[in-house]
Amino acid sequence: MALYHLHVNGKDHAVEAVADMPLLWALRDLLDLTGTKYGCGIGACGACTVLINGKAQRSCQVEVGSVGKQKVTTIEGLSADGNHPLQKAWIEHDVPACGYCQTGQIMSAAALLAEKSNPTDKDIDDAYVAHICRCGTYDRIREAVKACAKGAKA
Amino acid sequence: MIQEKLVENDVSRRGFLRLVGGVGTSFVLGSFTTVACARGNVAEVATADPGEKKEDKATAFVPNGYLKIEQDGTVTVTVFKSEMGQGVRTSLALLVAEDLDADWQKVAVVQAPGGGEPVGGQGTGGSSSVRTTYKQMREVGASARMMLVAAAAKQWGVEASACKTDAGKVIGPNGKTLTYGELAAPAMLIAIPDAGSVALKPKDEFKILGKGKSRLDNPNIVTGKAMYGLDIKVPGMKYAVIARPPNFGAKVASFDESAAKVVPGVKQVFQMGSGVAVIADNTWASIKGREALKIKWTDGPHMDVSSDSIHKALLAELVDHKPMPEGAKVVEATFDLPFIAHATMEPMNAVADVQADKCEIWAGCQTPDSGRDQVAQKVNLPRDSVKVNVCLLGGGFGRRLFTEYMVEAAEISQKAKCPIKLLWTREDDMKNDHYRSMSHSSFKGAVDASGNPVGWSHQCIRAEGGNGKFGRAGIPYKIDGASMLVGGVSTPVSTGPWRSVEHTQFDVVNECFIDELAHAAGQDPFEFRKKNMGDKRLLLVLETVAKNSGWGTPMPKGYGRGIACFAGYGTYAAHVVEVKVTGDTIKVTRVVAAIDPGIAVNPKGIESQMQSGCSDALSLGLRAAITVDNGAIVQNSWDDYNWLTLDAMPKFELTIIEGSDDPGGMGEPAFPSVQPALANAIFAATGKRVRKFPIQVSELV
Repeated sequence: MALYHLHVNGKDHAVEAVADMPLLWALRDLLDLTGTKYGCGIGACGACTVLINGKAQRSCQVEVGSVGKQKVTTIEGLSADGNHPLQKAWIEHDVPACGYCQTGQIMSAAALLAEKSNPTDKDIDDAYVAHICRCGTYDRIREAVKACAKGAKA
Repeated sequence: MIQEKLVENDVSRRGFLRLVGGVGTSFVLGSFTTVACARGNVAEVATADPGEKKEDKATAFVPNGYLKIEQDGTVTVTVFKSEMGQGVRTSLALLVAEDLDADWQKVAVVQAPGGGEPVGGQGTGGSSSVRTTYKQMREVGASARMMLVAAAAKQWGVEASACKTDAGKVIGPNGKTLTYGELAAPAMLIAIPDAGSVALKPKDEFKILGKGKSRLDNPNIVTGKAMYGLDIKVPGMKYAVIARPPNFGAKVASFDESAAKVVPGVKQVFQMGSGVAVIADNTWASIKGREALKIKWTDGPHMDVSSDSIHKALLAELVDHKPMPEGAKVVEATFDLPFIAHATMEPMNAVADVQADKCEIWAGCQTPDSGRDQVAQKVNLPRDSVKVNVCLLGGGFGRRLFTEYMVEAAEISQKAKCPIKLLWTREDDMKNDHYRSMSHSSFKGAVDASGNPVGWSHQCIRAEGGNGKFGRAGIPYKIDGASMLVGGVSTPVSTGPWRSVEHTQFDVVNECFIDELAHAAGQDPFEFRKKNMGDKRLLLVLETVAKNSGWGTPMPKGYGRGIACFAGYGTYAAHVVEVKVTGDTIKVTRVVAAIDPGIAVNPKGIESQMQSGCSDALSLGLRAAITVDNGAIVQNSWDDYNWLTLDAMPKFELTIIEGSDDPGGMGEPAFPSVQPALANAIFAATGKRVRKFPIQVSELV
């Protein structure tokens, strides 16, 4: 066990953990940031996606000992008041069904749009490889991402 | 494997009407009167959501156990059904809000814990929630509205009949208004109207129903605040996983916990009903502790069971089809369907806090009431001492009708003497499901010289795992003497209902085979269905998808279009699927759907369900299956249970037709006609028939 200083959602958090604890469980069990979901633990479903220095990462595949000073953003830190354009678009397009995977889906969208402000359908496909929604909300995810693209009509 | 008696079902047109047309929208108004209009049961039904603010009940209008209106105008509907993505919390609130004439912006929901006796029961499944409570939920709103109007009329000294309501306000004849919040306290003094005096709004006055509302849970979901079972944390809670038998019926012979106990954070290791439990300070420690356990298992008695052995056993149950009419052109076909897992996005889990005299459970479950009974029995407490808090479900699909994970969590909590959060890892979940059964269907049918269907014999043999044999069979086509035999073989693979239940088997292959009869008759599959259709509402959705898809227009080489339809749960659906087949690759390019769900309570929810049914069906049609080898489930996780991803979701076009004023179910009917339309499209593209799901080009015949 060791003490790790994680920079999560703009704040420093000290967590005591074994080095190989996945960031996922540190966020959920130690920091009570339960918006990041467990879906498989093997990086195959995307439910646990967070941003690490702005890039979408599967938090179940990132050991807490490896995070260092990188900036971690979870769904709780995407916006202060739930008014991030993606969150608004997700509500507007009524994307969620059971909703369990949607925080991960939103974080992947945030990373995609940060990199490509006007993603093509192919870009969206590529951003959602190994990203499962068991309720089949894919059409609406695509719509909501496009609604937040730079060139989208307001 | 034990042979079970074949059951014969009559599936003539009359049989269809009896079996499918008669699906229940029945309810007992009497129970509504006593339950919904009885005051004083609010404490029993209000949510136990941790952190919920305590209301001063004297100032809120609480006409019954389903509804509360506070002085700030907030309308809170207590929902007894479980939310698993079907939108039921929103749909039921919409029903109350419409006849209440509420301001939708001020409507909220709370979840009832298990143990109430609400209208429609508390179990959530069979696409029944809206169907069985539609009128009662509206009457809850309508009766409360009458009381609010009476309170306002009394205050103004006018006749109630001279007052109107709109968006959370009563409007008097003099133009004065009072908000529902302002009327909350005085309305509590108004007598509850007799059930017979409560009138519902005519459909043309609807302001909320049928308009398409976004889900009430969305703001919490998109900010990560929504609480699923796995998100619950209670003081003093420890985390547990269970090392489970590696094959069906395996038992713990012995285990060495020493390596597990030195994993940092591991607190306790003990044997329990399902295997060996590891209890730790956090989830990761419990998982690592489980990995470090050395367990010697005694193999179960089913090591020779595999998908192949089960397939052979299914075939062995087949009997000769009855003779087809003489001189008719006979068509034969078989279809094999695998086991399938529910694989809800949130795997099974529960939090349990068992104390000497009481027990509390937090979990996503479809049957909180029976789950409570099972927990009570396990921990030896009276059922009234067990409270089940229903969290949001990260998917249900029928899996959470079973609540053994709640029972396990309670068992561990009792033994560990602390609150426990039990996690089924994805692998636990994939390998210990109650699967949709594997099945083999054998068909013999016939068409006469004029192209009329004159014979239909379907035998479906299923691998039954003991949890219910679902068998509502029927075809919507007029074929004299049509019959179906349903048989089963017992296997150690636990089976249970999976979205659309038996229709994932019977109707999927029926709609493949009717296509083959059409082909044998030399007729277009849509025209053939139309000509022989015995149901007007189903015919209309079928015609709608044909029209909207451009049915009959030419397609490029390698492309094909398939059609299929389904009636059940009070709803009628049809799909046209378009595919492109290139070499071994099947790409679904477009899906055109039409649905007649009766009155469309929430069109947005209907569209969500229809897309979901499509995604499920394409997953099972093209990619995902559960197989058995060496007495165990082969698949582990999402890497080998190959579900549909975003890139493969086709363009989806939906038309909603309202064929009656009674709402049908939505979760289940979205599924069955997609897969056969896909198989029929592949035939149209390749000239080859599907005999096995998931479909592979190399296995077409």
